[in-house]
Amino acid sequence: MKKVISIEFFGMQRAVTKTDSICMPVTENMKVTDALEYVRNRYPSLPLDKGMVLITVNQEMVSPDTVLKADDTVLFLPYISGG
Amino acid sequence: MIRKKAGMDTEILHQVKYEPAGVVGGYTDRILRVDLSKQKIAVQELPPDFKDKYVGGRGYALKLIWDDTTADTRYDSPDNILAMASGPLGNEPGFPGTGKFIVGTISPLTDTFIDSNVGGHFGPLLKLAGFDALAVSGISKKDVVVLIDGDAGTVSIAAAPAYDKEIDSGALSFGRRLLSDINGGEFSDSFAAVTAGGGASHARFGIVNSLYFDRRRNRIRSKQAGRGGTGTVMRYKRLRAIAVHSSLPRANGNNAVNREGVREAGSQLKEVVSQSDPKQLNLEAWGTTILSEYMDKFHLLPINNYQYGQSPESAQLFARVFYEKYFSKKMPDGCYYGCNLACAKGAEDVELTRGPRAGQKVSIDGPEYETVAAVSCLGIFDPHFVMEYNWYCDEYGLDTISTGVTIAFFMECFQRGFLTARDIGYELKFGDMEAAGRLLHEIARGEGFGKIAGQGVARGKNWVAGKYAARTRTPEQAALAELNKFGMEVKGLEFSMYVTKESLAQQGGYGFALKGPQHDEAWLIFIDQVHKELPTFEHKANALKWFPLIRTWFNATGLCKLPWIDVRNPAAAGTSEPAKNLPTLAHYVKYLNSTTGSNKTLEDVLDDSERLYILQKLINLRQGKGTRASDRIPLRAMGPAFLNEYESRAEYYEKWLQEKLGDGESLPSSPEQRHKLLIDRRMQAYQQLCDIVYEKKGFTSEGIPKRETVQKFGLLDKQADRLLARFGV
Repeated sequence: MKKVISIEFFGMQRAVTKTDSICMPVTENMKVTDALEYVRNRYPSLPLDKGMVLITVNQEMVSPDTVLKADDTVLFLPYISGG
Repeated sequence: MIRKKAGMDTEILHQVKYEPAGVVGGYTDRILRVDLSKQKIAVQELPPDFKDKYVGGRGYALKLIWDDTTADTRYDSPDNILAMASGPLGNEPGFPGTGKFIVGTISPLTDTFIDSNVGGHFGPLLKLAGFDALAVSGISKKDVVVLIDGDAGTVSIAAAPAYDKEIDSGALSFGRRLLSDINGGEFSDSFAAVTAGGGASHARFGIVNSLYFDRRRNRIRSKQAGRGGTGTVMRYKRLRAIAVHSSLPRANGNNAVNREGVREAGSQLKEVVSQSDPKQLNLEAWGTTILSEYMDKFHLLPINNYQYGQSPESAQLFARVFYEKYFSKKMPDGCYYGCNLACAKGAEDVELTRGPRAGQKVSIDGPEYETVAAVSCLGIFDPHFVMEYNWYCDEYGLDTISTGVTIAFFMECFQRGFLTARDIGYELKFGDMEAAGRLLHEIARGEGFGKIAGQGVARGKNWVAGKYAARTRTPEQAALAELNKFGMEVKGLEFSMYVTKESLAQQGGYGFALKGPQHDEAWLIFIDQVHKELPTFEHKANALKWFPLIRTWFNATGLCKLPWIDVRNPAAAGTSEPAKNLPTLAHYVKYLNSTTGSNKTLEDVLDDSERLYILQKLINLRQGKGTRASDRIPLRAMGPAFLNEYESRAEYYEKWLQEKLGDGESLPSSPEQRHKLLIDRRMQAYQQLCDIVYEKKGFTSEGIPKRETVQKFGLLDKQADRLLARFGV
């Protein structure tokens, strides 16, 4: 079976991508930066600038060079600090 | 000048004339004192150093309460003060988020100081009318309104106009009518009012509504000082409304010492907001409802009285639903001029389908995230119910948070057999919109089971324990111990709407919050739980000192926190502590110095805040809510209180336990044992956190400020000296 990760979209991201999530095929040593590039290519108008969102894998913040594995869930999370 | 509409039936009971003081550097150096018992109005001139020590807003309210009330003062005591104050930085359309003021008093829920910050035009207009703060004491013999006319230089106590039963009991309806009637039958943005609805007379969690005219929407809008029962106090004083009027221009309303500096700081912050918010939370479009889906994703959305943090039904309460079905779109929605974050969303022509006003079309301001989550807390996932709940609570004058948490508590009492349908008068189940709505209306009318529910969770626990003990012959204390596990209150105030089970830092954020568990002192869930920026007790304790101080400053100066805390400046990524968003705070410090002529650093600002924080702690101590015992949090705030909650995330909890135990030790065999072990660990961690946090804050291990801490901030007056001595400090 093909190995994939899930990339989820929330709020304004969903409005731009018009979907809740997409799957991305994952190969050995693929990193978070690869997922970011994949999304940027597919949705050029999606704002994912550095400093605007942080990236989580399985609900924990990660660095861009974190290696992805099958069934991981990637999220581009805006900064939330509770109002 | 206030122009009464022809036919407006209002008898002026007492009036004084005054010469309005001009604003200089953000201050008028005057407090308006109104004693409703004696029908006395006085203008108090403040000494020059008063503002240096107490800043404004919360600081002024704290000082008034500290000096003029005693340990015996309760919410309904004549000497209790209802204070309203903006701050030196409130009222500057050139800077985002400057319409805030605070409403402070002794709370009917906590018996100690509570304040709630609220937007709108009331704070700015009060200052333009010549007052940094308003302090209302006494209890009127009849229902009255207070009218402050900065143009005419008059302050009046007038008999509350009588319209009809529906208008007279509604905080929104009455305020709207009053604002029209005192301006010759028209609305104007040079008038604003605060009101308390009839429901606030029957519940301890009444709110103060802040009403203002929105020119773009061409209607009166409202924001709420929601927490802690400020509206209950206002209503008890038989003060139905306070209206303020000034036609002075808002531009440079603070008469800043360095106007160019204010302009620069404001345009820099506006630039950050306009560039970043659309790429981040997009509050300008969605309002705070955007938080629902993030909270649900991370198991933080309270469901069924905080038993769960996520539900398959939650999507019905996400921002897109409110945006598509209700919000007026493409509308700049700042609650004060010049705020380009503009998060105060609203809707018009919403038809009520339930309750006594079913069939009527109304305008609704909101919902905010907290209101949405108060409804999910009831196990209800119907967006129209949210809209109606929002409107009814505002009109009745009830806090959507405390109302929701209180009803949810009684729902769980019913679920777990502590209450029966006979006790309540009907079945009260999670997810039952009819029952939830019925109880809401009963609370507002002070009828049936609403009389009990209107007392809030803390008092409700005692009532339920008594009922249950009598019915089952269980010792009352044993019943109370069970109820304490899931009665979501600390110090008497109901929790705001976040599940804290997996964030020890936020457990502290709620437990140590001086007013009770409201997140405006600290919201550390994401930096703790997701960002993992607070890995040690030391990190958590530092955050639990720093964030409450900076957040206190916002409440003292008349500012909204959102442009700082919910719009991350991209430049913060290059700093050592990005969560503090220091590049944005630099704009605030510049705004402060340019307005007041000071030359303060961020450290100075934090010192000013710490003085206010310690003063609030002293008031808590005096009122019986200032020791370690008062910082206890319910079991459910620390983890799954019952096995059903544990089992709903068993895999997650087992992983957590295994990490704590290490590889050498295996988990207990049964879920019951694992659950117990988890709870033991969590309780132990919270106590350890208390020790470290108290030390950081300069408190004893009992949570009492040390004498040198009080002295350091110049607060060791005779009252403080006696108080500390009483506690052996």
